[in-house]
Amino acid sequence: MTNAIEVVDVHKTYQARKGEVVHALNGISFQVPQGRIYGLLGPNGAGKSTLVKILSTITPLSSGRASVMGFDVTQQPLAVREQLAVVLQQTATENLLTVRDNLLIYAYLHGVKPAAARERLKNVVEEFEIGERLRDTVQELSLGTKRRIQVAKIFMLDTPVIILDEATTGMDPLMKRRVMDRLRAEARNGRTILLTTQVLSEAEELCESIMILDHGREMASGTLRELRNLSTHMFRVSLLFGETNGDLMGRLRALNPVELQVEGNSAEMVFHGEESSLLGKLAEISRETPILQFEVRGPTLEEVFIALMKESR
Amino acid sequence: MSGIGAVFYRDYRQRMTNIAFVFWDLFVPLAYLILFGLGFERMLGGAIAVGGEGFGYIAFLLPGVLGMVTFSVAMNTSWGFFMDKDSGIFYELLTYPITRLQLLIGKISFNLLLALIGSIMAIIVGVAFMNAAIRWDLLPLTAAIVVVATAEWFFLFSVFAIKFARMDTFNTLLSAMYILLMFLSSMFYPLPDLPFWFRIPAYLNPMTWQVDLLRFSLLGVGSTTTLLLEGFAVIVFGLICLSLAVRALNRAD
Repeated sequence: MTNAIEVVDVHKTYQARKGEVVHALNGISFQVPQGRIYGLLGPNGAGKSTLVKILSTITPLSSGRASVMGFDVTQQPLAVREQLAVVLQQTATENLLTVRDNLLIYAYLHGVKPAAARERLKNVVEEFEIGERLRDTVQELSLGTKRRIQVAKIFMLDTPVIILDEATTGMDPLMKRRVMDRLRAEARNGRTILLTTQVLSEAEELCESIMILDHGREMASGTLRELRNLSTHMFRVSLLFGETNGDLMGRLRALNPVELQVEGNSAEMVFHGEESSLLGKLAEISRETPILQFEVRGPTLEEVFIALMKESR
Repeated sequence: MSGIGAVFYRDYRQRMTNIAFVFWDLFVPLAYLILFGLGFERMLGGAIAVGGEGFGYIAFLLPGVLGMVTFSVAMNTSWGFFMDKDSGIFYELLTYPITRLQLLIGKISFNLLLALIGSIMAIIVGVAFMNAAIRWDLLPLTAAIVVVATAEWFFLFSVFAIKFARMDTFNTLLSAMYILLMFLSSMFYPLPDLPFWFRIPAYLNPMTWQVDLLRFSLLGVGSTTTLLLEGFAVIVFGLICLSLAVRALNRAD
């Protein structure tokens, strides 16, 4: 399988106002095979948006190499842009124009012929439920609807690569779900998707491979399973008690969980350590408070992410 | 649709949503011609001597008004980059499969039509209602100068619009430039009669080069050597401004 995106030892430095040199990216490398969904995760200032700007040829890299569909971002920027549909982090719409003009002009600017653009418009309008707003100027719309228009634009194109920088921010849950389903379908049809997000459940659900960035450095990367394995000594325990008597909370606290949530008859806990050492203690608790249901799971992406961020600081 | 065609269409749609801007571009220079021209023609009484020939003040001012049209259209077109920044579309535009040059050319193309319409309106008003006599045979040259002048001012102002984060800084700079470039040029008065300290910056002012060329194409006056030099300077100035604007877009991050 050929790579749609290749990033090799990319560094990005710039001069801050006070004269100090800021390392926005520090030797980042990854590849995204065609037809895959790749996620970039990280807190604010991690370097995700800088990487997106480099790949979409807005900003030059300081050293290293990056290519999209085999075209080098430094040497062949126009050819790179011909492969891309990009949704940037900030809301980007033509506020004075109508929704219809926004979608059509976006297609024209990507070289789609007017007749083909009008044809695609019909599908996009139906899918994103914007038929009633088609003649409205975008400035009349809510922020969420503007975001919907911005994301809808990329489906006016059939470029091989889609880049989404926190694209679902501000979208209502139903539309977010629809966009995620559509992105999965696009990937199945061979389009490659690079997305940055801070919504970890979104990355967990969509991405086949993930890189976690912090302060311009790679903290971890791999498939979801590989990332979960990074935290082998972390596990989540869910318990359902038949009845709660005595100081259950106190007894659970005594187990030294990293996280503890008790609600009614159920408790959720996250532990660091070996599962076997916990089992004996839980058996003791169950003698006084019967445990009806017991489940041990690996960490969620969010837990891995938080653990990595804590380690890096 | 070609890249330039698509940007042209985008700018056309945007400009048509704001008629006040179009009004400013087309009618303010006309107001100068009518109010300023009539007032000064009455005040000065006789003819103004240019290149050994005498002209009424309105005829003398007409090329300057065309210069004003190019400046206003360029200013408002470059201001559009701030609208793009405001709506967040500016950076997205840079991810589209069009070159920075195509983006600039496409953005000014529709506005060149406005500059030509504004110039034609000024010429019609000057000739039909204010008795200015012009060289009709050189009208294509006039149109070419208007196009080049508008484009080069746009490229220059775009550099500021792209680089400046604040719209008020941009507006202040352009207002200052508007005053200095217009009044420190041959737009309103013949330069030879002015003091030396005034003439030096005026002769170095691109507005003077453009107005002198327009004065030649409209009235047929000017020394050949000076006009050739000014024509060359206008082209070099335009190319420098264009390369600076492309560079600014390439470094717009």
